[in-house]
Amino acid sequence: MNVIEIKDLVKIYDNTAVQVTAVDHVDLTIEKGEFTAIVGPSGSGKTTLLNMIGGLDQPTSGNIHVDGVDITKLKSKQLIDFRLNNIGFVFQSYNLIPVLTAGENVSFILEMQGAPKVEIESRTKEILTEVGLGDRINSRPNQLSGGQQQRVAVARAMASKPKFIIADEPTANLDSKATAKLLDMMEELNRKEHITFLFSTHDQRVMNKAHRILVLEDGRIVKDEKMGVDATKE
Amino acid sequence: MIRSIAWKNVWRNRKRSLIVITAVMLGTTAGVFTSGLMQGWVDQRIDAAIFTEVSHIKLYHPDFLNNEEIGKTIPKEKSVTGFLDKHPGIKAYSKHIKLMVMASTSRGNTALMLNGIDVKKEKQVSRLYMQLLPGEGTYFEKDGSFPIVISDKTAEQLRIKSYQLDVVVLDSLKREGFPESVIVKLMALDKIRFNTKNQIEKKVTKLLTRKEISRYGGRIVKTSEHYRLRSKIVFTFTDKSGELVNQTFRVCGVFKTTNTMFDQMNAFVLQKDLAQVAGLLPDEFHEISMLLNDGYKPEQVRKDIRKAFPEISALTWKELVPDAGLMSEYMTLYYYIIMGFILFALAFGIVNTMLMAILERTKEIGMLMAIGMNRNRVFNMIMLETVFLTTVGAVAGMGLGWLVIEITGHTGINFSGVAEGLEAVGWSAVVYPSITASFFFGVTLMVVATGILSSIAPARKALNLNPVDALRSDN
Ligand SMILES: Nc1ncnc2c1ncn2[C@@H]1O[C@H](COP(=O)(O)OP(=O)(O)O)[C@@H](O)[C@H]1O
Ligand SMILES: [Mg+2]
Repeated sequence: MNVIEIKDLVKIYDNTAVQVTAVDHVDLTIEKGEFTAIVGPSGSGKTTLLNMIGGLDQPTSGNIHVDGVDITKLKSKQLIDFRLNNIGFVFQSYNLIPVLTAGENVSFILEMQGAPKVEIESRTKEILTEVGLGDRINSRPNQLSGGQQQRVAVARAMASKPKFIIADEPTANLDSKATAKLLDMMEELNRKEHITFLFSTHDQRVMNKAHRILVLEDGRIVKDEKMGVDATKE
Repeated sequence: MIRSIAWKNVWRNRKRSLIVITAVMLGTTAGVFTSGLMQGWVDQRIDAAIFTEVSHIKLYHPDFLNNEEIGKTIPKEKSVTGFLDKHPGIKAYSKHIKLMVMASTSRGNTALMLNGIDVKKEKQVSRLYMQLLPGEGTYFEKDGSFPIVISDKTAEQLRIKSYQLDVVVLDSLKREGFPESVIVKLMALDKIRFNTKNQIEKKVTKLLTRKEISRYGGRIVKTSEHYRLRSKIVFTFTDKSGELVNQTFRVCGVFKTTNTMFDQMNAFVLQKDLAQVAGLLPDEFHEISMLLNDGYKPEQVRKDIRKAFPEISALTWKELVPDAGLMSEYMTLYYYIIMGFILFALAFGIVNTMLMAILERTKEIGMLMAIGMNRNRVFNMIMLETVFLTTVGAVAGMGLGWLVIEITGHTGINFSGVAEGLEAVGWSAVVYPSITASFFFGVTLMVVATGILSSIAPARKALNLNPVDALRSDN
């Protein structure tokens, strides 16, 4: 089953002196349960593509269907709710609210979704334990390492079991050990909770973990490669 | 959760928040205290107006107030007092004879309103008897023919004050802590009695150094003040039959209220004395003053009286002392205006602080909007943060203001430095600030409103952020 269907997607920036085609006629489908990396050099359009898929940015043309809904047709208000209830986000940095604990950061999104209190509590504990931070539930972000913070961010993105998770260079600020740990953990969650991951990277070691690699160059997908392991089949 | 985030955000930049909170606190304290001070002043003014000067309601012959003619006595006096006796709202009343007279002594003269009173009844409606200067006679307690109680101001005008640095005065100065050197110098004036302030001031100035004068001069002269009790004052007036009459009264007491104007105008004598010399009958009075029981409004009781006696003119204290009457009605509005100005000024600081906070948190707010925090929640978060920031300072300020009022309300604040001007228009020099609970409630509402209004600009700034740009931005 396809979670994401992208047809003829174009994003042109013309707010600068030279017009930039950041995403150039992209067609793409992502199936449920995929663990896919978008790779390419800096400026190749990874962020722009992910932002449009995540409903953060409007394409110049083309459309994106998420579970049959064309999100390019949604109004900005509807889009916010759509993001809240269907998509998990992990950014490169500034993922967490610094005044809240790890647990509260995770609970916060569940609360905004209107989940019942007991459920919020148990799910927060469960997901933080799954990312290996069950004992850090009451720690503030500044009391956690960069890798731990990113794991809390993944936990937050996962908490409400979204249709897919978008992670734009989640390991860019991490050392190799923390990178490996985060990726292993993401892969495990992908397998265990059957969650679709779509992440960007230009790190060779991260690519090696992916089950499918999309290579982006100047806004075009120049290579689409499936690796051995695959969680899409049950 | 949004509430808790907002609250925690207030303390994120502790130093900056504390500066704003302190500013709000001091502003609120100042506003509350100023209001309390004014309220204390107004309360005291009204209290003095009602309980010393005019009472709640006064009755007159309708023409009396225009020309104060001796013949314009209250009609149907018997049935009027009968009515007053029966009315449940009236606590006490006192009948007065009023006569405009010319008062003169060998040294000076002045125009006065003589009030002929029944001492026992008068004490029930006026506290004037409690405002006799200590050691300067009594309120008609000693027997004697034609006694009169005059004010300190009148004594001054009639020049029946004298100034003498006798042993008693020097002794009391010593006890007040005046240096021995000053006392010794003053001893030279021991036996001399000065008739005017000017004379004693001149002598004292010659004896003391400049520094001593500026430090002690005022108190020396003040303490040396004596009244010539039992002084004779001759009053000239026309009696009921139109004859010019002279009558001598002897000073038996001196009073001083907080209202110099009232003091300057009024002197008190016994009703029977005045009735006799003016040729008035026992049922002829010019004025009836009354105090009401708690829970009765002057306007309401006045309505009852007017209904029963349409031919009598009845005035409430608000009409008799219009300045105090207006104050009692409009002061609260002024307090809110003062508070409004203060909060308006503080709002600029609050808005500025919040704008800085939003700017610093651009990425965080972008992230929150990206993961699905909608506009209402973003607005609420910033509004609550602003309201918290404002109310923390305001609550502290109200507490501090209340405390200062509580303390000064007991000790009083002395404005004698500028008091002469104040007392001339009826405002006492020592003020006991006071405040009402409802004012605090009103201020709280205003503070919250200020917080909400101050949050509009910062919230708009946050809502105008585009999450994509915010996350890409470099700060
Ligand atoms: N807001 C923008 N305005 C103008 N050009 C932009 C903007 N965002 C990205 N670009 C341009 O679009 C291209 C793709 O950028 P991006 O999607 O960030 O690539 P990547 O994430 O792969 O580094 C780049 O040339 C970048 O300069
Ligand atoms: Mg990028």
